[in-house]
Amino acid sequence: MASLDRSTAENILFEEARILDGRRYREWLDMLTRDVIYWLPCSGEEDTDPNRRVSIVYDDAERLLRRVERLESGMAHAQSPPSRTRRIVSNVQIINGREGEADVNSAFILYELRHGKERIFAGGCEYRFRFEGERWKVAFKKAILVNNDEVIDNLTFIV
Amino acid sequence: MQPQINFDDLVQEHRVHRNIYVEPAIFDAEMERIFEHNWVYVGHETEVAESGDYKMVRIGTQPAIMTRDEDGGIHVLMNRCMHRGATICQDERGNSSYFRCWYHGWTYSNRGDLIGVPYPGGYGKDFDKSRFGLVKAARVGNYRGLVFASLDPSVEELEDHLAGASYFIDLFMDLSPEGRIDARCGTHKYGYDGNWKFQMENGVDGYHPNFVHQSFFEGQGKKFGRKVMKLFTDAATYESKDLGNGHSILDMAPTRRVNRPVANILRGAVSQAANDAYVRMLLDRYGEDRTAEILGASNVNIGVFPNLLIIGIQFRNVIPVNTSRTDVHLTPTTLVGVPDEINVARLRAHEAFYGPAGGGAPDDVEMFNRCTEGLRVKGAEWLELSRGLNREHRDGRGNLAAHISDEVPQRAFYRMWKQRMAGEQRASEPARLRPAARS
Repeated sequence: MASLDRSTAENILFEEARILDGRRYREWLDMLTRDVIYWLPCSGEEDTDPNRRVSIVYDDAERLLRRVERLESGMAHAQSPPSRTRRIVSNVQIINGREGEADVNSAFILYELRHGKERIFAGGCEYRFRFEGERWKVAFKKAILVNNDEVIDNLTFIV
Repeated sequence: MQPQINFDDLVQEHRVHRNIYVEPAIFDAEMERIFEHNWVYVGHETEVAESGDYKMVRIGTQPAIMTRDEDGGIHVLMNRCMHRGATICQDERGNSSYFRCWYHGWTYSNRGDLIGVPYPGGYGKDFDKSRFGLVKAARVGNYRGLVFASLDPSVEELEDHLAGASYFIDLFMDLSPEGRIDARCGTHKYGYDGNWKFQMENGVDGYHPNFVHQSFFEGQGKKFGRKVMKLFTDAATYESKDLGNGHSILDMAPTRRVNRPVANILRGAVSQAANDAYVRMLLDRYGEDRTAEILGASNVNIGVFPNLLIIGIQFRNVIPVNTSRTDVHLTPTTLVGVPDEINVARLRAHEAFYGPAGGGAPDDVEMFNRCTEGLRVKGAEWLELSRGLNREHRDGRGNLAAHISDEVPQRAFYRMWKQRMAGEQRASEPARLRPAARS
């Protein structure tokens, strides 16, 4: 069994950032477990129950697959042309490491360019990593954007 | 003040002029003639459910506060201290029986009365606090929980304003076996650098789905094995309707039956047991005929002039900011008295399509942005709204109707828009049928 150290966690998060900035969505899906939950709440700084409060994104693996298929279809007009992004991932901390599983927090700044408009997003992520097969995978990712309860014009790329 | 505008040059039976989307003078006139003299949607009563609850709202571009007082009354107070003009409420939502302006300490009750002025010696004995209560909406109306405010006391009764829309609003609310909706499950917010009327037009547009939302429908088709896009083709039997006073609907009721799942978008997402329990509740409360009617109409696109759309499970508040900037707040709702599973499915279905990361709504917003850019072209002055003029008829309730892909809703909106902007009589004229073409 494996236990996660911070250096490995950082490498995984940097790899995830590279993959998402490259819009290589299928490789990103490969990083996820089958029971993954990908969650973008829109409740500001409040913790909420996603079954009682709407979220910007609350996807299981199947909804994520639909999301990726839509982005690949060429008919997702809000991503035609696609957003160009570059994210910086930092402040990585292992919150609760144990055998085969670890909770990891991080912070990010994400620059986005589309149609000549530049936007900066920032936030924190809460992950659960699980060791499956031969590698660490993402079983849970909660991305808390600083502006999640404000007007966001277009968030159709994957944060 | 505003220049003299000839509205016959801007809105005609089958087309509207690009200026209505790009001219700041027209935007300013709208904020006054439409938003200061009309019932404006501000929220749902459950958003201020408890005594002391408040929510910041907008009437046109003016900041206001919707409050619930200790006796259960709902007020809409303009968010402006009567002393030197600062806003008195800074939090979007909260609970307080009073508001204090932190500039000089003036304090108001949540009914808008001025109840406290620090160091009153500076004002003398004649100072009458009752003259300095917050400016309030002259009228606050509540229809089935939808709260509207009017700055103009002379508007007609809310129910008269709602005209034919109230029938469909009732069907939406009666999806709950207790006839009650809860709008406390959060809000999506998106926006775009374009005119507010793009969103009001699009919310009741049955022509665009197969093109704008093709990528979403194809995903649905894979999941449910169904060709959803058939719903919007020429062969579809659904209709677009004018409900009077600028309101409209994409009526997808005709082909629904009582034994179908809760709503089109929930198909396959709710267990048979939960669905059966829910339908039993409706039958117990409403009987067979009404239940069939309710479930048949359970997927809606309703436009309520000037700023409200009821779509899917949400109340959508279209908030004009300036000529080329609009914010949109989408509040999904849950049903009171139904199995939890159904409300969870409602939220998931809403998230799949709507909001800034949804699989559908952002593609509409992309079109608004493309229209904003395209309308920089001056040589093409008009936007064509003639679709379906050749096949309008009256439905069983007397509403002007045509095919779901026809532009009946947009023409209905602009008929009322023109009336209000031109300052015409408040009674709205029923739309006139085009005479049959001669062969």
